[in-house]
Amino acid sequence: MMNGQQRHSKSAVCVALLGVTALLLVSENVRAESSVPGNFDNQGAKIFAAQQDTPQVYLDADSGGRTLTDFYSLRQYPGSPPRIPHEVDTSFSGNETNCLSCHRRGGYSSEFDAYAPVTPHPENTLCYQCHASVQSETLFVETGWKSIQPPRLGQSFLSSSPPPVPHSLQLRENCIACHTGPGAVAEIRVSHAARGDCRQCHATVVQSTPISEFERK
Amino acid sequence: MRLDRRQFIKQSAISSALATAGALFPGISFGDWSRLAQNNSVISWQKSPCRFCGTGCGVLVGVSDGRAVAVKGDPNCSVNKGLCCMKGYHSVQALYGKDRLTKALIRRDGAMVEVPIQEALDLVAQKLQETRDAYGKDSVAMYGSGQWTIPDGYVASKLFKGCLGTNNVEANARLCMSSAVTGFMTSFGLDEPMGCYEDIDHANVFITWGNNMAEMHPVLFSRMLAQRKRRTNVKIIDFATRYSRTSQAADKSIIFRPQTDLAVANAICYEIIKNDWVNWNFVNEHVSFHKGKTNIGYGTEDHFAFTDKAESIDFEDFKTFLEDYTPEKVEKISGVPARDIKYMAALYGDPSVKVTSFWCMGMNQHTRGTWINNLVYNIHLLVGKISMPGNSPFSLTGQPSACGTVREVGTLTHKLPHGVVMNEHDREMAAQIWEVPVENIDPKPSYHTVEMFRALDRGDIKFIWIQVTNPMVTMPNLKRYRDGALKEDRFVVVSDVYPTPTTDIADVILPAAMWVEQEGMYGNSERRTQHFTQIVDPPGEAMSDTWQIIEVARRLGFEKQFSWDQSDYIEKIWEEYRRFHAGPKHEMAPYSVLAERSGVQWPFVDGKETRWRYNPRYDPACSNGKDFDFYGKKDNRAWIWARPYEPAAEFPDSEYNFWLNTGRVIEHWHTGSMTRRVPVLHNAVPSSYVEIHPEDAAELGVVNGEKVKIISRRGEITMPAQINGRGVPVRGMVFVPFFDESYLINEVTLDAFCPISKQPDYKKCAVRLEKA
Amino acid sequence: MPIFSYLAMPREGAREALCTDLSSLEYCQIIPAENKDVVVLITDTPDEDRERSLQEKLKKLASLQSLSLAFGYDEQN
Repeated sequence: MMNGQQRHSKSAVCVALLGVTALLLVSENVRAESSVPGNFDNQGAKIFAAQQDTPQVYLDADSGGRTLTDFYSLRQYPGSPPRIPHEVDTSFSGNETNCLSCHRRGGYSSEFDAYAPVTPHPENTLCYQCHASVQSETLFVETGWKSIQPPRLGQSFLSSSPPPVPHSLQLRENCIACHTGPGAVAEIRVSHAARGDCRQCHATVVQSTPISEFERK
Repeated sequence: MRLDRRQFIKQSAISSALATAGALFPGISFGDWSRLAQNNSVISWQKSPCRFCGTGCGVLVGVSDGRAVAVKGDPNCSVNKGLCCMKGYHSVQALYGKDRLTKALIRRDGAMVEVPIQEALDLVAQKLQETRDAYGKDSVAMYGSGQWTIPDGYVASKLFKGCLGTNNVEANARLCMSSAVTGFMTSFGLDEPMGCYEDIDHANVFITWGNNMAEMHPVLFSRMLAQRKRRTNVKIIDFATRYSRTSQAADKSIIFRPQTDLAVANAICYEIIKNDWVNWNFVNEHVSFHKGKTNIGYGTEDHFAFTDKAESIDFEDFKTFLEDYTPEKVEKISGVPARDIKYMAALYGDPSVKVTSFWCMGMNQHTRGTWINNLVYNIHLLVGKISMPGNSPFSLTGQPSACGTVREVGTLTHKLPHGVVMNEHDREMAAQIWEVPVENIDPKPSYHTVEMFRALDRGDIKFIWIQVTNPMVTMPNLKRYRDGALKEDRFVVVSDVYPTPTTDIADVILPAAMWVEQEGMYGNSERRTQHFTQIVDPPGEAMSDTWQIIEVARRLGFEKQFSWDQSDYIEKIWEEYRRFHAGPKHEMAPYSVLAERSGVQWPFVDGKETRWRYNPRYDPACSNGKDFDFYGKKDNRAWIWARPYEPAAEFPDSEYNFWLNTGRVIEHWHTGSMTRRVPVLHNAVPSSYVEIHPEDAAELGVVNGEKVKIISRRGEITMPAQINGRGVPVRGMVFVPFFDESYLINEVTLDAFCPISKQPDYKKCAVRLEKA
Repeated sequence: MPIFSYLAMPREGAREALCTDLSSLEYCQIIPAENKDVVVLITDTPDEDRERSLQEKLKKLASLQSLSLAFGYDEQN
């Protein structure tokens, strides 16, 4: 799926990103302690913080070419923690925050020649608790496991209307982490995250029951 | 019809696939197909203001084969520059609910039966005439809405005030912004904001006074967020009684106890004076000081009357008055730490910082609503931060035409399209333009909204015509007013688009054209008049509210005053109405200009819109040769008012120990009669709930979703608890969204109001909770 | 009455075969890209059963390497 043109635009973003990392760390330390409870409205405060902290160039950046197929191939069912698709240096074990050195902010990794996806929940630092590494491709015995279809794209109600949020927000409260930047999956990346309030347009229809219409009782 | 819709969906499927392919494979070409997809012949786009809130976003409505099928933000509209919120993007779906009213219904032997609309209009005219003959001119009433188009409100006022001679014309905007009006009138002598939304692009500090803008004015809020992102020197301070989505986004959240905003505003003024942050040049030139009556009551009893009396004071008197409001004293009243009060005062006081204050229902639905509006103006006036880009005390409006139809046309009991009924010159002007004898116009105001429904209950009013609003969900202390409307010899006419609890009590239901099914104009929060043409046909026999009133007026013998032709009546009505506002203080744009542009701000003088009033660099009505001209008041000054803190009408005690606060969520517009019929919005918030602080919930022994009974002195209601959901009230407070007709929270609320504005306080009453 | 659109990728060198295969299926419409090995596929089936059987047929096409969904619409009847 990679082609020359994409690689070209990628390196341009990379240069710009290096410069802002330092600034970013500073701005985060400055933010005052807040009295606002953290755990309400699906922890939406994370979105606002991400909008402020993520450099504009990153919010606008084009996708590095990861596709939804790649995305779901690492998951057993939509919403399951993805497996770790790359080798993990043995020296990483014992220091659980090292995943975050790439996956907290994203950015270009020359080692993998790819943009690291950003985790929506960097506050959970014990990554290996949920994300399994892949040491062998063979199975112990064949499995009869069947999953459900992932949420369809393009679930807008009108051709011009913003689609509602089709997935649970648990551990995925920060829209900006997965839906913006060069590490984002191409099909679900947006370029307008600088507006800041994702849920102004994208309704959170977080329910598994079938869609029902309003009827007067 | 169905086939064409499918074709359209298919076209969308193609467009999406082409767009995805374009994103994945830069430079990909589909030959002729891309061109076809972009030059989509299936759909045409026409401009309109959004149907919902007072922000007044410009939208483009996509039409295919006579049906509205899509919405885009209007890039030509300076309000929203192409962006909408979820309500706007799905607004056209509200036209197509399955239970849309398409036929007139009249009550026969207790049951509603369909009749041709002309027959229903005959009955309306006949009943109105009979009631008037039997009980006098003030026994009939019209109750309209801030969602009325400007022509709707104009013909209602002309018929009732000009022709029938009764001032029984009110609108639901009494419940949402009359405190804003009396605030403007008492401080400046003229209604509506001096600034405009462009203030957002200039201000460094935004203070939201009891205003959850992230949900209620989302497009303006994201404009603030984008500014904060773009410029490094922008801060948002959320000053509120409950944690909301706005608190999450704000740089600082400050919580105060209900009603104590009065004390905090005074403390901010105290600090400004104490630290000598007063802009003396401004104050000496442009400000005068006043006080009014105190201990002014709450209006909970029938026939309550109050008239304020202004007395001049001087700066020293004002300073002495403020001595009761040191930050330390106010900390005890308000619960706001003195250092936070000083922090806010320092922001207002810093001459290098541009401050915009935003407020809406938190300050307006307040038993001292006029006062708190005055007090926030006081702050801006002391430091001279007003009427220039970025320095703006900004009163936002809730409804799409609360400004356009209610405040400007004057569909309130005391108002006329220009001025007030009490003023002889204003009556003469109206009589002349309306071609009615001047004696027709009664110089005495009659009933404001709460008193109008009390009069209906008492039997002083026997006939009421309700258009574009749902009072049987929204009236506070609802049970009294529903029982009153249902009494034996009351006759209730309701014009609406869907069945609601208000049509349930109607004797006649008239099916109304909705939004772009008719031509009309709205007026938004920043003095912008927004025209829309008829884009799709109304269903069945549905008729515009304007034309319904014209039909009835003609049946009552007022052909001369209502002689317009259906082909161009909106244009003719606009040009007649515009005569009321001639002159540089309020000149309105001509019809031809309105039809072309995505909204035009008034005063519209010599082809130019006025963005900042009272400032001669922008406002051609300024004539005193100084740097500002507050020409609304006779002394050419803006008025600072000494207004004390007085407690709420009802507050928690040992028996009823919780505050009840009510409001909205982003998904739903008012009583949900439209937005609940939009699938995506209904699915997002399908029913109402009561927000409880997690610790209060634990003490009560309820978990998320369990039922709680809310009991007040008026009534009780049982509904599911929501803990750490959309918002978090402080301990000792619960919050309930009022959109859900299955949970009528207004059975519980109190009908106390601001004695000056007569606007009820939906944010404060006392309740107790039980696990149900 | 589902309507879907997909990006269909042919197997190596099977672009023409894929176009022929897809256009011979009922309820399918294609728009091949001029300069890339990608075909836009739009399916418009009258009901769930025929949608399912079409999906089965698509899965069996030898010329098709992958399908990724771009747009989906399903009217609730």
